[in-house]
Amino acid sequence: MSIVALSELLGASVRDATGTVRGRVREVAVTPEDHPTRIAFLIVRTAEGERILPPGQVKSCGPVVRADTDARAWDRYTASDGVLLLKRDLLDQQIIDVHGRKVVRVMDVEIDSTPLNSHLLLNVLSVDVGARGAVRRLAKGLVPAFTLRALLEKIPPRVIPWHFVDLLETDPARRVKLKIVYEGLSKLHPADIADIVEDLAPAEREAVFETIDEEVAAEALEELDPKVQVSIVESLDSDRAADIVEEMDPDAAADLLGDLTEARSDEILKEMQPEERQEVTQLLEFGEHTAAGRMTTEFLAVPETSVVDDAIDALKVFEGSREALATIYLTDGQRLTGAVPLVKIAVSSPAVQLSELSEPYIACAPDAPDDEVAALFDKYNLITLAVVDEHGRIAGIITADDVITMLRHN
Amino acid sequence: MALVLAVIGPGFITANVDNDAGGIAVYSVAGAQFGYSLLWVMIPITVALVIIQEMSSRMGAVTGKGLSDLIREEFGFRATFLLMAALFATNFFNIISEFAGVASSFELFGISKYIVVPVAAFIVWGIVVHGTYNSIEKVFLSASAFYVAYIVSGVLAHPDWRAAALSTVTRPESTGFRNYGYLSTVIALAGTTIAPWMQFYLQASIVEKGVTARQYNASRLDVIIGCLFAAIVAWFIVVACAATLHSVGKYDIETARDAALALRPLAGEYAYLLFAAGLFNASLFAACILPISTAYAVCEGLGLESGLDKRFHEAPAFYWLYTILIVCGAGLLLIPRFPLIRVMFLSQVANGVLLPFVLIFVLLLVNDRELMGKYINSKWYNVVAWTTVGVMIGLTVAMVIAQTRSDDKPKPSAAREDARRVSRVAPPGRFHVAAADMLC
Repeated sequence: MSIVALSELLGASVRDATGTVRGRVREVAVTPEDHPTRIAFLIVRTAEGERILPPGQVKSCGPVVRADTDARAWDRYTASDGVLLLKRDLLDQQIIDVHGRKVVRVMDVEIDSTPLNSHLLLNVLSVDVGARGAVRRLAKGLVPAFTLRALLEKIPPRVIPWHFVDLLETDPARRVKLKIVYEGLSKLHPADIADIVEDLAPAEREAVFETIDEEVAAEALEELDPKVQVSIVESLDSDRAADIVEEMDPDAAADLLGDLTEARSDEILKEMQPEERQEVTQLLEFGEHTAAGRMTTEFLAVPETSVVDDAIDALKVFEGSREALATIYLTDGQRLTGAVPLVKIAVSSPAVQLSELSEPYIACAPDAPDDEVAALFDKYNLITLAVVDEHGRIAGIITADDVITMLRHN
Repeated sequence: MALVLAVIGPGFITANVDNDAGGIAVYSVAGAQFGYSLLWVMIPITVALVIIQEMSSRMGAVTGKGLSDLIREEFGFRATFLLMAALFATNFFNIISEFAGVASSFELFGISKYIVVPVAAFIVWGIVVHGTYNSIEKVFLSASAFYVAYIVSGVLAHPDWRAAALSTVTRPESTGFRNYGYLSTVIALAGTTIAPWMQFYLQASIVEKGVTARQYNASRLDVIIGCLFAAIVAWFIVVACAATLHSVGKYDIETARDAALALRPLAGEYAYLLFAAGLFNASLFAACILPISTAYAVCEGLGLESGLDKRFHEAPAFYWLYTILIVCGAGLLLIPRFPLIRVMFLSQVANGVLLPFVLIFVLLLVNDRELMGKYINSKWYNVVAWTTVGVMIGLTVAMVIAQTRSDDKPKPSAAREDARRVSRVAPPGRFHVAAADMLC
């Protein structure tokens, strides 16, 4: 096997079976529907027009490509959506480096060339994003080939293996045909996804959020700057936007919808499931900078008569965020009566009554302003803070991560 | 007014930065030498500025990408590399001249450049490193407001408003163009109006602000208001110098500093102070914007890590470029007998050589349907835009040639008067200061 760089291949002269130069390589194509990495064909610009040359008819490739068929036998090239053209779609474009968790620009593409029954098997191996590709492209045609090769050997490579590459394609139909699903990206931490998304142009952000799993999209969206959140949600259709907003924490969802225009936010609410819609609408009614505007309505409250085992059962079916689980709240059916830290439950035997483990709880009113909330967190070293209405009922909780975000923004 | 405040942003800032030390020098010279008779130039150059800026900001809003990104994606690595190398060199020279403007404005107050330039460099570094986009925009918008200083000093100069207004809107007499000095000043006025860095900076700030195609109408208004304001400021500078210096026959100024000094006895202490403060503000403002915008454009075009939210070891090229531009740009000025005139002349030539390429790239990109969709130029807009770009390129090239010629050979005595802005060598003691404001 040997490695050929895309930039070497582009512009290479192509000789047919007779040894005559018939044209030059203009593009290198992959058809992901057939094979994810295999080069399907080279597009050769000949005097008669553009022709297709599959690797199965190529004996050797490099600065000169030798085919073992006659030029007249080469098929005419017609453009098609399902074809990934390495020069047009990849070279100099931005891609997501899933392993390095960032957006990078492609300097060159490395193609693996393996002989098979006197022909070649060409596969995309990796993309070059470093100085080696840069020097190769700058020096191409200006420096003798062997000098260049010697020079390039001295430059340490910076390549991303092909399976860590997620392409950016803004056309949804083409994305399907090219099988771009952002599989690698979806597996990253939501905060990393958010960082990557911030480096993208709006159309590309939209592409990512249209494609990735709703739950992942929701978590990543929460991590983004509110302005970016708004622009992404505005670009999605309301159906898709509703699917994502449903998966968000109700408080984050309410903040986001509050930032949208009323018409847009109503459209999205209409598409949401009734249960999630109700939660979010309630939160929307409070001012954004009050305790109620900051709180989430997904928290864990159990009757004060429960035992540790019941609490653990409740934990297992809880669907809210992990941060909300730091404290389990006790009620007498109506009013908030106590709070049990998760740690105490973890270290107590299953039959212990929760009321025995209860600590005095700290709470604030729904209309408590931001600075009061922050002061309570600071004074009592809280992880969660209960928000209690005028009847003593718990309406929601504020978690420490919300407070950190709030403090950083203010 | 509330509407104006709501939309102004990148377009306003860019147009105003354009009135930098070099621009102010040209306007002053135009007013002092030719009185009100060159005011007609203001309308065509404002139109040209609006047309070119509008395309850059539209491209930023529609694609969400910077100009260097788009050039890289559409024209490949080699073209981008050459363009970025040229942009870096050109902007480096521009940065030197901005710091020189800062130095000369403070020398009007009798403060040495050895104090001012390092302090200015530190301020430039600090504002950008410690700011976010929103906070920097506010600082820059406030700096733009200081240009009102020139409007006030124009009013304090008690111009003949009727004559000034009339010559702004009347067709110029064709005989004027036969005068070499008149013609070269027209060319200089046009040449200082559009610089290559503006296209990169404007588009990048539109992207960074997060403007989308939907909000584009507000950005277009931003560009138009910005260009109008910049033109009004320029108009008042010309008028101030025309009303005072030209009317008493004091034609022989060559720099903005000269203009400020000459204004002092004629228009009073306040006009002088405002003029000097305006010069400081303009130069510092441009010195803030150029290094960071260059570092961003170059890194993005070449695919290197960039951004102030990254640490030094994550984006070394970005920080090196930024540091070199500020430290060397300011540092070179402090070298005794630094050939400033040569460098500032080179900066003008470099701008002129680079501009055609940048503008042609802009026009090709803005007409790329795959990129811009329905937001490409309309047919008529294209006619106007290509004509504008053609004329701008022609004038800029003409200016470079004129400067090269006047720089190379001594003028016969009759022509010397007209060409002295570029060819005269200042006496040794005033060397740096005069050079700092040289027409460039």
